[in-house]
Amino acid sequence: MIVRRLILWTTLVVLALVVVAACVLFARQGGFAPFRVPTGTGPPVANDATTLARGEYLVRLGDCAACHTTRGGVAFAGGHAFDTDYGTLYSSNLTPDREKGLGDWSADEFRHAMRYGVSRRGPLYPVFPYEHFARLTDADIDAIYAYLRALVPSANTPPANRLAFPANSRSALIVWRMLYYRPAAPMSATDRGQYLVEGIGHCAMCHSTRAAGDSVPSKGYLAGGILVGSGWYAPPLDADSLRRYSSSELADFLRTGTSPHGTVYGPMAEVVYSSLRALTAADAASMADYLKRIPPHAPPDMRLSARERFGGNSGDFGNNGAEIFKRACAECHGDNGEGKGGHYPALTNAVATRAPTPINAVRIVLYGAMPPTTPGNPRPYSMPPFAQQLSSAEIAAVVNYIRRNEPQASRVAASDVEAMAGIVLD
Amino acid sequence: MTIVTALSAAMPRLPICIALFASAATATATAAAGNDDLSDRLAACAACHGKNGEGAQGSEYYPHLAGKPAGYLFEQLRGFRDGRRISTMMTWFVQFVDDTYLQEIAEHYSKELPRTRAADTGADMLTDERRAVAERLVQHGDPGRGLPACIECHGQALTGLEPGIPALLGLPADYVVAQFGAWRNGVRHGAPPDCMHDVANAIAVEDIRAVATWLSQQSNIDSARPAPAGSFVPPKACGSLPHKDAAP
Repeated sequence: MIVRRLILWTTLVVLALVVVAACVLFARQGGFAPFRVPTGTGPPVANDATTLARGEYLVRLGDCAACHTTRGGVAFAGGHAFDTDYGTLYSSNLTPDREKGLGDWSADEFRHAMRYGVSRRGPLYPVFPYEHFARLTDADIDAIYAYLRALVPSANTPPANRLAFPANSRSALIVWRMLYYRPAAPMSATDRGQYLVEGIGHCAMCHSTRAAGDSVPSKGYLAGGILVGSGWYAPPLDADSLRRYSSSELADFLRTGTSPHGTVYGPMAEVVYSSLRALTAADAASMADYLKRIPPHAPPDMRLSARERFGGNSGDFGNNGAEIFKRACAECHGDNGEGKGGHYPALTNAVATRAPTPINAVRIVLYGAMPPTTPGNPRPYSMPPFAQQLSSAEIAAVVNYIRRNEPQASRVAASDVEAMAGIVLD
Repeated sequence: MTIVTALSAAMPRLPICIALFASAATATATAAAGNDDLSDRLAACAACHGKNGEGAQGSEYYPHLAGKPAGYLFEQLRGFRDGRRISTMMTWFVQFVDDTYLQEIAEHYSKELPRTRAADTGADMLTDERRAVAERLVQHGDPGRGLPACIECHGQALTGLEPGIPALLGLPADYVVAQFGAWRNGVRHGAPPDCMHDVANAIAVEDIRAVATWLSQQSNIDSARPAPAGSFVPPKACGSLPHKDAAP
């Protein structure tokens, strides 16, 4: 009798605790407010030329087109695929088509989706950087809305998401939000650099390390990390990692994609090509100034998928790297990797050389690179691919030679080079 | 680096320096117009297509670029960037390059001398019977299948036609076969009307290899350029290029 009563009471207490915890978590993600999606037409927003120009500029800085356009497709008409650990997601149509796009959306609903990541379709997947866009001022969100409204409508229908359980259920996103999402207040735009970096620029989406549930915790914020699935490492953005740039060099780098300390490649080449090259000089200076003021964070543990892992202490690391370097690299990068003539970057302090993972170095040696064309660098110099000329063992050897001052545990073996092979385009 | 070591490092390059100096006078005018030699910038292209776009020695696949019409090369580069033509490696390089630079790259290679030797001396020999089939299709096509002759569009000497039709001489056989497959399967598109899509669907599958092998064995020893624009009118409607149907 006593035992049964005890079990009953324990169960009730545990249940009550669970309910209380759920309520607390639900309250911490904003309670019911995020799910109250405004309906109706709402008041109109200004769409004068100044507002549209402001919206166009913000849409560029947010690089909306990069995710909401397919290769060769109608700009902003959606359908770009995102391969994630949970399945494949497709971006939505942002053009003002009434059925397929945002034609029916009021400014209030658009603002709500940008602030809370919830629309008439329910909670949105966090590949959409609403945690950053939430920080924009109302005036900026309205200008973006006005610009998108002025696009030519496209009836393009993005494919349906193909996600595994439980990610395929929008209710699972409510649980995700309870665990990982905390509403962020709009920022005042007094620190323009911080406003651009943490708001519309959403730099942390790539330059952070994700934790449980692919959330971005404060610990890994802008501390650098692997772009899961795409096979690139994004460096930390802080005073330490950007020390080699002067503020004006960094501002130029953001707009031109090139600098005495390195050239953009991989996903950052796209960011510069489709977004940052449009930065005004003043905004580039503000961003550079802010980035160089960010205090360094302790690097979090990297999350590596199978194709991003590297050997460490076992495997064939090669011992002829110096000889291969002399033959294949020195003509352009200098005998000691010091760079040459402004067009051939120094390797000494390059991200690919100093990163905790050799993945960027391996991929650039394998596939070469063409920097983005920008007004400041309209005719870029390119790096040849070596996949046809060098074996995996030779690529491992030369990468280990270039990275010879890095910890032994980050050496790359021939078998790792093979696992890292393959170009991910979109 | 001391002056002595710098000099000794430069010594082996002296003949190159002299050659550069000799051509400097002619180069100055173009350099002033921001049109300096692009080859230093295009090291990535050279890895597969050769330093001057002549094609790589012993390559079994990569086509030459040298001397092809600039309009053709520009359209291909844009196609790789915008998804009309699929090659992961090519898209990787051109995806963040604007039209202005692509046009300059196309013009750069179009000015180089066309490749002069047959690409595929190692390709399978053609039997007399297969050779006859290939030559018949190249010279006369197959009117019964609606298949024009190669020479009707690519020129009597197969050296192409400005501004958009490439030469067919000295292309690796595997490359030509792969293009026929790509047109048939819809992974390579020309600007509509897509003439080569129609041609690739009209030719008998078993004849593709014979034609490709025959073409790969032809050379262009005189480095003949594509025929000038308008010097003849191709019979098939092809993208934005002039053709018979549209001619007055």
